[in-house]
Amino acid sequence: MTSKLAEHIRQMPSRRNPPYRPAMTIDKEEAARLDEKLGDAANYDIALMREMVQADPDNIEFRKALVSGIASAEYAGIDAFSRKVCEWQDWDVPNSLIMAIARQTWDEVRHARLSTGVLESYGGKIGEYPDTLAGGAGGAPPPSTQGQAPQNGGGGGRAAPPQTLQEPVSMLSAVNVSLEGGALVLFKGTSELGRKIDDPLMEHCFDYNWADEVTHTAIGDYFVKLLTENDPEMEKRALRIHAMSEYGRTRLDEQQTEELKEFFVDEMERATAALASHGYGSEESPD
Amino acid sequence: MLPVVEIDIGPCINCSLCRRACPTEAISYFSTGHRTHVVEKELCIGCDICVRLCPMDCIHPDLNYQPDPVKLEFAKEKARAFAKRHRRILTGRRERAQRAKEKVRA
Repeated sequence: MTSKLAEHIRQMPSRRNPPYRPAMTIDKEEAARLDEKLGDAANYDIALMREMVQADPDNIEFRKALVSGIASAEYAGIDAFSRKVCEWQDWDVPNSLIMAIARQTWDEVRHARLSTGVLESYGGKIGEYPDTLAGGAGGAPPPSTQGQAPQNGGGGGRAAPPQTLQEPVSMLSAVNVSLEGGALVLFKGTSELGRKIDDPLMEHCFDYNWADEVTHTAIGDYFVKLLTENDPEMEKRALRIHAMSEYGRTRLDEQQTEELKEFFVDEMERATAALASHGYGSEESPD
Repeated sequence: MLPVVEIDIGPCINCSLCRRACPTEAISYFSTGHRTHVVEKELCIGCDICVRLCPMDCIHPDLNYQPDPVKLEFAKEKARAFAKRHRRILTGRRERAQRAKEKVRA
């Protein structure tokens, strides 16, 4: 049974003022403007922009683009976590988890305000640069309604994300532990960048965010442990979701470890065999 | 010689910073079968990188462990390869940032 609150939230699209404008959806004119400001629209990437700010600290557009990219993720975080506060009330989870995610939502609000403040100190504003994430998150039905089609498509007209990624243990493992754990590097690096280029606002704001991210990672880890305590299969599933989350991110950075590659080696072999059976990837393949 | 390290799993929050930064991939997580970060001491070169990164201060030296010189040399070789790989990635990123700077200024 889905509560009225969760049902209501599921029907709500992700909104922000100004509206979300994902980078992957920008038109040619906007891409040309990014080319002009950043040397290439494809440079609108947080890791690269940190290097660009360091290479040219006098270029205020580089700083605006970097902080816009981070702020965008903070707004998306508010949307995603606030939905969980409502939706997870329908799941069999302790109330302390709901309260922890409510606290985390408020932390994201503070991060968004801090990032917006840093951006405004450069003369920039939210919406000037496109959003680095799609913005927001769709809803998913609780276990009692599994197998039923979501009403009105769920997520404000969008297809709901896969059930496995919305279920609390998986989401905590993928987002709180893996993604937010990974974000520690981003915040530490950005704070250190602020120190190097003598930008105390950047240095202190992102150091503040870093400390909160440690807490978010700890929250995720604590509740994954609690919810999988007597369920080794669920613990393995949490580990696997963590691996999948890291696999996707590190592939882009060319930084995958042997251990992570090996974790998926059986599946890779099965996938390769399946592709070969269809004529792909073998020496006889036309490709 | 620097001491190898071990992780106190009590306060560890599995943020994975240590594992992803370890130049010898001495820290396991996915292959342990449970959600625990573990140092394979034979691969640890005592570089101290993980200790400095850990937000929970839960990585400590194991002063009693005596490394095998052959295995230690193997681990150091891994670290050299890691450093080379990362230098290549960082250099690539820095060169791209430099090109962006010059293009925008032109």
